[in-house]
Amino acid sequence: MTGPSFLRSRAFRRVTLQAGFVAGLLLLVLAATLTARTNLATQGLTSGFDFLWKSTGWEMNFSLLPTTTADPYWWYLLMGLMNTLFMGTLGLAGASVLGLVVGLMRSGRNPAARLLGTIYIEIFRNLPLILQLFFWYAMANALPAPRASIAFGGALINARGLYLPGLMVGPGTVALAVLSGLVGLGLAIWVLTARRFNRVEPRGQRRVALLAVLAGLIGAGVFVVLGHDPADAWVTLPALQGLKIDGGFRIQPEFYALAIAITTYGAAYVGEIVRGGFKSVGRGQMEAAAALGLSSWHIFTRVRLPLAFRAMLPILINQYVWLIKATTLGIAVGFSDFFMVIASSINHSGQTFEFIGILMAGFLLINFSLAAVLNRLNRAIALKGHQTTGSA
Amino acid sequence: MSAIARTNVMDLTAPAIEITDLNKYYGTFHALRSINLTVSKGEKVVVCGPSGSGKSTMIRCINQLEEHDSGAIRVFGTQLDDNLGSIDEIRREVGMVFQQFNLFPHMTVLENCTLAPMLVRKISRAEAEATAMRYLEKVRIPDQAQKFPGQLSGGQQQRVAIARALCMQPEILLFDEPTSALDPEMIAEVLDVMVTLAQEGMTMVCVTHEMGFARKVADRVIFMDKGEIIEEAPPEEFFGQPKSDRTRLFLSQVLGH
Ligand SMILES: Nc1ncnc2c1ncn2[C@@H]1O[C@H](COP(=O)(O)OP(=O)(O)OP(=O)(O)O)[C@@H](O)[C@H]1O
Ligand SMILES: [Mg+2]
Repeated sequence: MTGPSFLRSRAFRRVTLQAGFVAGLLLLVLAATLTARTNLATQGLTSGFDFLWKSTGWEMNFSLLPTTTADPYWWYLLMGLMNTLFMGTLGLAGASVLGLVVGLMRSGRNPAARLLGTIYIEIFRNLPLILQLFFWYAMANALPAPRASIAFGGALINARGLYLPGLMVGPGTVALAVLSGLVGLGLAIWVLTARRFNRVEPRGQRRVALLAVLAGLIGAGVFVVLGHDPADAWVTLPALQGLKIDGGFRIQPEFYALAIAITTYGAAYVGEIVRGGFKSVGRGQMEAAAALGLSSWHIFTRVRLPLAFRAMLPILINQYVWLIKATTLGIAVGFSDFFMVIASSINHSGQTFEFIGILMAGFLLINFSLAAVLNRLNRAIALKGHQTTGSA
Repeated sequence: MSAIARTNVMDLTAPAIEITDLNKYYGTFHALRSINLTVSKGEKVVVCGPSGSGKSTMIRCINQLEEHDSGAIRVFGTQLDDNLGSIDEIRREVGMVFQQFNLFPHMTVLENCTLAPMLVRKISRAEAEATAMRYLEKVRIPDQAQKFPGQLSGGQQQRVAIARALCMQPEILLFDEPTSALDPEMIAEVLDVMVTLAQEGMTMVCVTHEMGFARKVADRVIFMDKGEIIEEAPPEEFFGQPKSDRTRLFLSQVLGH
């Protein structure tokens, strides 16, 4: 009850608290940087990013484009980042598809399917991811030796890895083709999600999006044709040659064990999100669709799924960002993702702070972009007006 | 009226709706007790009765949103049975308007109206949109076609729901308390549309407590209680000389004060 009145003003308090907090934070960062600098200098370590152009001198066991020990750090980092992105894309896509299936089983009427879905979720959600990863990796290593490879549909699998039939083109060509396809897809999504913002006639926009996808695919085809050596055959099939496998496209056990682990673990979480999404859709909308004579397939695809998806998306975004971070566990089985490349680089170069900075920046970049794209999608499809999914 | 080719084989000379000895249970609860009701083409029937008397259950049996346990339902001579084809056939000819509107909130008003005609009647988008605009004009909201349901008032949403049902060009419209979720000032705009439809000869079965509407357009008023039809009579007779005590009690509650 005493003291000057401005101390009790709410606005004054809010501003001082904010200012004090920001100032404290800045001081902390400044102090830490200065201390690190002086400590490093006394140990004779130089800071800076010149090392990025030095060659690494060690090997990377998996990369989408060729790497040699003479390649500089920046190339290794880029390849590591691409591996993480590749694994993330596969893992998220797999977890989404499997999660949709599990979620639908859990929200359906068939008791056997519901039980199966529940068992799946309880198992995969409750065991630590690293344990599941070791399990799949052990399974992969327990497969027979190359000469006893298991064959299925042109592919071979053994303890050394999974051998898929492949196109006879260089990795650079594949990268360009994939890039072309992704650019087309990205453009299409951009155009489609822009639809609600600038009230353009939706059908024209759909046509532009379709064109973008087509152009991306045609571009990919052109790259493949140009990159193919006419002297070679078009496809390469894996085949047993003596004691090892010749031809084909090898996927190492570390890679697919991690992909399976991320997919199955992620699917358990996605499955619960999917179930929640379907639960939130009001019965009224589905009854209205049924009363209009829509088939159960159309009720599902035009009403139930779109409404459930809108309820799921905000939670899915969190889950996706989380799953991307979980791919760093690949280091436990030796998959050369971004995290592992960074860890090896630190060992070999001693530039700890710089590499940790790059690691953070890399993951922030991936997860910010992912969240930004999905948030844009979320805003674009969000229900307009105050009414949500409706009740009754 | 019908530019759309009818693929089904409904007999338009048979009674629009013919319900005989219909029974429905929820578990052990007997929700509908041997209901008999015939509605001829062009007739307007108003159904009223206390809460829980089975009004919704009865009209939802007509388009099989609820399955019945015994008895027969025929729509223009086509009997509803376990055959899914008969359900599809009947749903194409029977439109429904719900108390909660139940519009598709992720689609514009226009898309709400064109979805079923394009998917079920398989007409082109252009034709479906032309039909939709015609019916949106009829319910007096053509200017809202590009909006989303959540951006409209309750009365506007219910008029969209009526237009959506009309776009399938049904022979029969079922209404389940279409004005009960509306503020008083919006009730009139929905009732106006319903009166227009009635005057144009639409076959209507309407659960409502709007007794003014019943007086004005109903050919017959039906009173239900505890899963039974207690009384049915033309409106003058129904309101003037109700036969049963339960009807009198109900009317005094609805009209009284
Ligand atoms: N899905 C259900 N499961 C169990 N009982 C139900 C179900 N639907 C309705 N009932 C019961 O059946 C009876 C009739 O319900 P109905 O909804 O047809 O009544 P109503 O006449 O439409 O009432 P209101 O005026 O409140 O809408 C009620 O006692 C209700 O509790
Ligand atoms: Mg009711």
